[in-house]
Amino acid sequence: MIKVENLDITFGGGAQRVHAVRDVSFTVASGESFGLVGESGSGKSTVLRAIAGLTPGWRGTMTVVGQTLSQRRDRAFHKQLQMVFQDPYGSLHPRHTVNDILKEPLVIHRMDDGERRILRALDEVGLGPAYRFRYPHQLSGGQRQRIAIARALILDPKIVLLDEPTSALDVSVQAEILNLLSRLAREHDLTYIMVSHDLAIVAHLCSRIAVMNRGAFIEEMSDEQLRTGTPEHGYTRQLLVASKGYDRAAIDQFVEFD
Amino acid sequence: MTDQPTETGLKEWLLSDTPQSAAQARCQRLYLAWLSFSANPIAMLGLAIIVVLVGMAAAAPLLTGGDGTEQALANRLQPPSVAHWFGTDELGRDIYDRIVWGARITLYIVGLVAIIVVPIGLLVGTVAGYVGGWVDIILMRVTDIFLAFPRLILALAFVAVLGPGLENAVLAIALTTWSPFARISRAETLTIRNAEHILAARVQGASTARIIVHHVTPLCLSSVIVRLTLDMAGIILVAAGLGFLGLGAQPPLPEWGAMISTGRQYMLDQWWVATIPGLAILIVSMGFNLLGDGLRDVLDPRSGGTS
Amino acid sequence: MDKPLLNVENLSVSFDTPKGVVEAVRGISFQVGQERLGIVGESGSGKSQTGRAILGLTPGRVEADRIEFDGINLHKAPARTIRAIRGRRISMIMQDPRYSLNPVMTVGWQIAEAYRVHTNATKREAKQHALDMLTTVRIREPEKVYGLYPHQVSGGMGQRIMIAMMLIPGPDLIIADEPTSALDVTVQLQVLAILDDMVRDRGMGLIFISHDLHLVSSFCDRILVMYGGQIMEVLEAGALDQAEHPYTKGLLNCLPDIDRQQGTLPVLRRDDAWMNRKGGAGGDVP
Repeated sequence: MIKVENLDITFGGGAQRVHAVRDVSFTVASGESFGLVGESGSGKSTVLRAIAGLTPGWRGTMTVVGQTLSQRRDRAFHKQLQMVFQDPYGSLHPRHTVNDILKEPLVIHRMDDGERRILRALDEVGLGPAYRFRYPHQLSGGQRQRIAIARALILDPKIVLLDEPTSALDVSVQAEILNLLSRLAREHDLTYIMVSHDLAIVAHLCSRIAVMNRGAFIEEMSDEQLRTGTPEHGYTRQLLVASKGYDRAAIDQFVEFD
Repeated sequence: MTDQPTETGLKEWLLSDTPQSAAQARCQRLYLAWLSFSANPIAMLGLAIIVVLVGMAAAAPLLTGGDGTEQALANRLQPPSVAHWFGTDELGRDIYDRIVWGARITLYIVGLVAIIVVPIGLLVGTVAGYVGGWVDIILMRVTDIFLAFPRLILALAFVAVLGPGLENAVLAIALTTWSPFARISRAETLTIRNAEHILAARVQGASTARIIVHHVTPLCLSSVIVRLTLDMAGIILVAAGLGFLGLGAQPPLPEWGAMISTGRQYMLDQWWVATIPGLAILIVSMGFNLLGDGLRDVLDPRSGGTS
Repeated sequence: MDKPLLNVENLSVSFDTPKGVVEAVRGISFQVGQERLGIVGESGSGKSQTGRAILGLTPGRVEADRIEFDGINLHKAPARTIRAIRGRRISMIMQDPRYSLNPVMTVGWQIAEAYRVHTNATKREAKQHALDMLTTVRIREPEKVYGLYPHQVSGGMGQRIMIAMMLIPGPDLIIADEPTSALDVTVQLQVLAILDDMVRDRGMGLIFISHDLHLVSSFCDRILVMYGGQIMEVLEAGALDQAEHPYTKGLLNCLPDIDRQQGTLPVLRRDDAWMNRKGGAGGDVP
């Protein structure tokens, strides 16, 4: 479904050069949920955005649903691949109602059955038609994220990219959104690439996980392997230990990985 | 929600948490903005002044005897009295009538400038800010060129070429007023450009034009509107200045600046001829300033106004 | 155990909004000794407002029977007394050093300033203390970091600088409001380790406010669980499995556990009855 080979991205020039992504390669099969884990600066979000077409100037080869991608994306591409962003407060336009937000992709792609699609999308994410004409500031964080998910699904894409979709949400809301994402993946046979810094969330939702640090892939494994605690690389093991909570003795053993 | 809004029904309709239609949602937003605005007494004063100005202009035939252009040389330079509330000028024309009819001219100038300046400024600024690169550089240098002209000098040059007149004065003012709006729009656009909702629009496949018009411009409007109302005072003063120099409205039009100009000679003994139009300009400029201040408090996203 | 550092009785914080009065904190009571007390809650639970109300840093309306610190009722004390206590005896560490450090002054200067304001030290003495403090928070090359500006330091280092700044006057009690939420998980733990050492070495009290129940339970000695402005439950750290209140249990259950495969995560069912508890007394010092 998705194949990335030798992806390399550098930002800026001269003294401010940042080699954000270094020679990254991976594949994602159809219907699979693939997780990208790393700390800040690891390049995981950059990889996701490059696939979505938001970072020009990438090098390497990317193939999505059999089509090799160029620097610009066409409308047909956007119909198949959508994205949910991290910040529910920032990813919805503050001056557009929910109706405007959901209608936007339909207008761009010139779809006729807008009314039906909007109502169906709202229903699928668990919000009724009562929410249709609210503005984002009248919604809670969880509700906004549901709208963002509805917006991503309204075109019936095959692939959804998830950029830390629950990091900005309360813990109890996070569980609801994760359940929603699981259910939607099953019902629509979606392919996910999810980026997160939280190992527990990624292990919960994804069947295969890649760990990144400083722009490079450290290792790839299945969720079972992560769960039974046998990652090979020291960085992953350290990340696993850190996610278990505060342990004074363990913290003294932490190392910087370059 | 009732179909026929009663007194409390309407308020409920405006404050309800679940609007049933796009129109209701928009009305709610406007209502909340109005509540916020009307809590500020100074802003309300500004609004009142402007409303009086517009009312005066609209109802000019009803409020005055003539149209302010009838001369009566036997009656010249009369002080304010019951017959002539503001006195008469050097040609015997009733100054009250001229002030009221002059309101139309003031509004005409201000309105025309606004209609020209806001779309051009928004377009140039948002395109420059969003597209960036060479387009940005070229558009901003053009903006700089216009920004560099002092208004009155440019107006003089314009008038020298095209001849004096109200429309030419308006054009000259517009040409020197649009640049700051382009700068403001560009500054807002640079901030907005990397917001996640813009990225989301790009991922949906929106064209650059659609993003600029539907997503970026609505967020620039607040700053532009505030700047416009604050600039109105300046526009009126420049128009008055041009009128004062004889380059704007031509006689016998009762433009307030021209009235001050001709009244200058009689300042010592017949103060009302120049002072009354001067006060009118002062009050209207202040009205726009106060209105602009109030709008900024309501619309400025930084101060946490309504979204 | 000794007498508590801080004794809060019946604290309430409310805000006036166009839609009516919002009660962020509703009549809570608790005590803090020379221990690490965690206050855990989701957004809107009132945990941050509680921390700020203690120091009088909230724009909301604060009502309390007493907020007693070392025999002084902070709620009724004159402004001068509060200013003398703030920073010097009770300090606050905030979430994001990008926003809580002054961007136009060097970090070293800010730390030295924090010292100078509360003592009568000379500039040179203050600078020396600041450098010592930077070493204590395990910053290598303190001389070099002294001259950096906030935008030039990473998140973890910024937070360590914040800790240095807040601890240099030697306070008795620290209120930390989500001090590590903006940091990566390994950096988070390293920063907490520094805080842990300093609290232990100097015998301070720590109020640790966070949304992260697991982190708080592994770091703190006692935990207050807040919801809707009230304290739902008080727990000893490490006794999370003995939690009784349905909110606490629900919160624990809905976290994805890395050690097991879960199909659907149990969802927290909110019960309006929880809001009807009267205030909630939590945590007398044992």
